[in-house]
Amino acid sequence: MRIIRAVLAGAAVLAAPTLLAAQNADVQARLEARGLPAALARGVATIAAGASARGVPDQPLADKAIEGWAKRVPAERILGAVRHFADEMARARQAVTAAGVESPSGAVIAAAAEAMRSGMRTEQVRSVVQAAAAGDVAAPGLSVAAALKAQGLGGEEAVRIVVGAMRNHESMAQLLDLPSIARAMHDEGLSPGDIEHRMLDGSDGGDHDGWRSGDRGSRPSNVPPSTGHDHFQGRMTRLR
Amino acid sequence: MTERDGFSANAHRYLDGEPFEALEGGEFANADRLVAEAREYAERLPTLDPALDEVVMASVRSRAGARRRSGFAWLLAPRTVRVRPVWGGVLAAAAALVLWLAPRTPAPVVQAAPAARPAADTVYVRFELTDRAARTVSVAGTFNGWRVGALAMSRDSTGLWSATAALPVGEHRYEFVVDGTRWIPDPTAHAEVDDGFGGRNSVIVVGPKGLVRS
Repeated sequence: MRIIRAVLAGAAVLAAPTLLAAQNADVQARLEARGLPAALARGVATIAAGASARGVPDQPLADKAIEGWAKRVPAERILGAVRHFADEMARARQAVTAAGVESPSGAVIAAAAEAMRSGMRTEQVRSVVQAAAAGDVAAPGLSVAAALKAQGLGGEEAVRIVVGAMRNHESMAQLLDLPSIARAMHDEGLSPGDIEHRMLDGSDGGDHDGWRSGDRGSRPSNVPPSTGHDHFQGRMTRLR
Repeated sequence: MTERDGFSANAHRYLDGEPFEALEGGEFANADRLVAEAREYAERLPTLDPALDEVVMASVRSRAGARRRSGFAWLLAPRTVRVRPVWGGVLAAAAALVLWLAPRTPAPVVQAAPAARPAADTVYVRFELTDRAARTVSVAGTFNGWRVGALAMSRDSTGLWSATAALPVGEHRYEFVVDGTRWIPDPTAHAEVDDGFGGRNSVIVVGPKGLVRS
């Protein structure tokens, strides 16, 4: 048995560089296909390979490089931003694994990194991840919390709203609606504090002032009553 | 045959097998004699060949076919083809030889579209920006691989630029690209975040119900 384990471990060690090299080539090929110079693509691929070795997804790094290239950012700054993002994702991965998720998906790690960049603390990320009943809810939960915080709500309140929604077994649709509802309240003239209050009422099971709109709460007053489409009217809206 | 032929209307009805009233005097006899002559004449007529119908119809078909035979019609007309089984093997061998000798070209590499996701969770989102001085405006973001011009906006007479895109539910980051070079965030987005390059990205979180704007 020990021999088999040793052979498997040895095979894994030998295979790892090959796999990383393959990923490296994928990233480089993708970047060159988007028109990035070979040297820049190679540099990003090298950073991505190192990140992969730490369990960090490489595609968000490639995406970041493509974004920078599209914005005509100089190559050196693109490399710096990609390296910085890789470090952020490594820290985010630690925060997620500390929440009990042994092998977090790339989407969760990237969402956690973006949330931490927007100012969410490690323990707040951990709270959202732990409240997510299933792994695929963690990433949107983190994105929603980060969006609420970026909309002016306090980080602690944003996390409480999201965690409350998750613990109340709200649907993914209701979770993803939260930033839109916060925006509607903001456009109604409510202060971030008022929005927090009303949304926390909703997430805590309040019956009239919160964000819940389906069966227990009410929508902000600028939202029309059900029109058969059940969407908000506005400058940017669902058309079907 | 009319009354001028020597028969009354009543006699005609009798000859036609229709209900009739009493006939006068010898009209009955004349009518019966006429019927008997007609039967006799019919019996003298030559008997037709029972296959005549088939012969006539075959001739009709052959003439109709002759008119269609030109051009495409010949190709479309169904016909029976007889092939000896041995030719099947020969043809199969020839086809295999052609395939083997055909030049082998590598399959074209298809670049996967970025952010391709199931259409089931897709929501149409309308982007708007007012800029009267702009010559072109597009939306570039995570949903289209940051491709400038991939989502071009159209301008109305008031200077309002707009475009509609089908986006998967979830979070998206984007900016407006004015005249191909100037990147500006959307003032009506849910939020703005640092893009890592010293600029700001707009953030929207699209739920299945869509978005809300002022």
